[in-house]
Amino acid sequence: MGDIINIFIKSAFIENMALSYFLGMCSFLAVSKSVKTALGLGLAVIFVQGLTIPMNWLIDYYLLGENGIFGIDLTFLRFIIFISTIAALVQLVEMVVEKVSPSLYNSLGIFLPLITVNCAILGASLFMITKEYNFAQSVSFGLGGGVGWALAIVAIAGIREKMSYSIIPAPLRGLGMAFILTGIMGIAFMGLMGIDPAAFK
Amino acid sequence: MAEVQELTKKEPSSFSFGKAERKLITDPINDNNPVTVQILGVCSALAVTTLLTKAIVMGIAVTLVTAFSNMFTAMLRDYIPKSIRMIVQLVIIAFLVTVVELILKAVNYPIWKELSVFIGLIITNCILMGRLEAFAMSNKPWRSFLDGIGNGLGYSVILIIVAVVRELFGKGSLLDYKIIGPTSEYVLNTNQISWLSWYATNNLAILSPAAMFIVAIIIWVQRSRNRKLIDIS
Amino acid sequence: MHSTAYIIRFTIVMTVIVAFVLALMVSGLKGIHTENEEVYNKKGILSAVSEQLGKDVNVMSNKEVQEIFGSKIEQKVVNAKGEELSADQIKVATGGAAAKAEDIDLAKEAKKPVDQRLLPIYVFKGNDNKNYNILYVRGKGLWDEIWGYVAMSEDWNTIAGEAFDHKGETPGLGAEIKENKAWYNQFTGKKLYDNTGNFKSVSVVKGGVKDAQHQVDAIAGATITSNGVDEMLERGIKYYEPYMQKVKKQEIKNQ
Repeated sequence: MGDIINIFIKSAFIENMALSYFLGMCSFLAVSKSVKTALGLGLAVIFVQGLTIPMNWLIDYYLLGENGIFGIDLTFLRFIIFISTIAALVQLVEMVVEKVSPSLYNSLGIFLPLITVNCAILGASLFMITKEYNFAQSVSFGLGGGVGWALAIVAIAGIREKMSYSIIPAPLRGLGMAFILTGIMGIAFMGLMGIDPAAFK
Repeated sequence: MAEVQELTKKEPSSFSFGKAERKLITDPINDNNPVTVQILGVCSALAVTTLLTKAIVMGIAVTLVTAFSNMFTAMLRDYIPKSIRMIVQLVIIAFLVTVVELILKAVNYPIWKELSVFIGLIITNCILMGRLEAFAMSNKPWRSFLDGIGNGLGYSVILIIVAVVRELFGKGSLLDYKIIGPTSEYVLNTNQISWLSWYATNNLAILSPAAMFIVAIIIWVQRSRNRKLIDIS
Repeated sequence: MHSTAYIIRFTIVMTVIVAFVLALMVSGLKGIHTENEEVYNKKGILSAVSEQLGKDVNVMSNKEVQEIFGSKIEQKVVNAKGEELSADQIKVATGGAAAKAEDIDLAKEAKKPVDQRLLPIYVFKGNDNKNYNILYVRGKGLWDEIWGYVAMSEDWNTIAGEAFDHKGETPGLGAEIKENKAWYNQFTGKKLYDNTGNFKSVSVVKGGVKDAQHQVDAIAGATITSNGVDEMLERGIKYYEPYMQKVKKQEIKNQ
């Protein structure tokens, strides 16, 4: 159990997908103009990541691995299967949310298609493989990674909203400043690297 | 963008390489750069730029994948069912990325090892999906191929600039050859000529936030020279 | 608009083509991939004695590495009790997966209890006609696993060379254990035992080296990785201690 909490905290803060690996930057920079939309995308990412990582773990273990039902090493199909799972799951989630809760769909819906090509999701799936997590750990890693990413985008959006009142050299306005801010936040998050993950055990 | 659309109307003969085609390649390198103008494919621009070799390999891989995925999609565009379009495009991309990965693993294993998951992350490099949707779905294969090459090169140029700055200032070397800073460190070829030996390597340049700052500076320079790109909002 | 039947047909045809081409490529390239991986691991081992090779391991071709490894290296496997294992014993211990030190899956070994673990030793015959015993150690860095090869001189006390590697340490900080030659070269010449013959290992310390025989400087900004190296060396080399003591006794007897 301690192990699972440890992975959650590690993936949310110390190994933050957005600010220490800089994954999912395309949508991160494009959607972080206001806190409200950032929060919407953040929630969508938590949701999708929490679902796809365990799902991909199951697929990798039971279909592609040597211990799976085919009994042969099919790991070369990993990229294709993972991305298809993510795309299919995102579409499924979109349909379900639309049917069940139109209000949630209105706030989340537009971001869902964007998430398919969010590197943070595929990145987390691939990291889960290289880190050799088991199923429970991968659930916690998926959720933690999503929470960390959402936290980062909301924080950056907050700063960017405030920045709109500042005087910035014209060529740096918008995108340029967003890069610098993300870099500085990345350095700030590096401070968390000093935390010994073993302390949470 | 308006210009590109205008070009597509003419539908030139299949394999010509005239002014319009040249523009497909040169445009994304500066005015319509995927990284600094379209904000696509930033993620990997940061992680793989600590060393110039890695950046070059990554640039080649992305250029190949963009060019061929654009070409295949353009060839298949009339046959792809609209309802599963996204997944089909992703499968084409993922297939090409796997091919590139397998080849790289055979050709240069250490680089493959260093790039690790970032090869796989080419799949979600937004440049690919972006170009497929914006260009390949409405253009002929040859032109789409050129557009892919152009965008891949535009991406590689940024990658290489960032990597040169990071490796030079962070490690004092380029392509693993010591250039500035004290000798007898890092690389084994200590008898190489080294100048500016008082330079102490700046570790910040190796850390990933440095890539963010360098891209920001590139954007700054590019937009000061090309005022029409400035964000007015 | 396409019919459902068409969509299904399209999907199946695409899946079959893609899977077939990839499967073909994988089986075609498999030989090269395994050889590359083997050479990569061997380069890791050889870089611990890079001083003796006279050439940078990283620029060697696959053939050169295999040749040096075949002609100059003798492989041994010992256990934590200090007994040297025969090929058959190794086969039994690994479930038939390996018969030599180089084939052992070291990640798997690290998960076994210490008394069942197989410890590889690579004996390198240097150009100076001395034997260098390369030991393998494994531990945890900040993000993930770190490991290293430590070459011991013939006195089983002085470190003659070393090479560390890692799975995912931060470039510029933790990753320096592999890349910064000035840092890892500090270990060369350090002693494992103090003057009275007690095992002391080499520790990685912050804020300046006080004991020139047993301490090296930590990497600035990478405290956890440095501590990881410290812990890995002390624990990892200790596993080999029974074997080292045995060999030393043997040598005294022979003299």
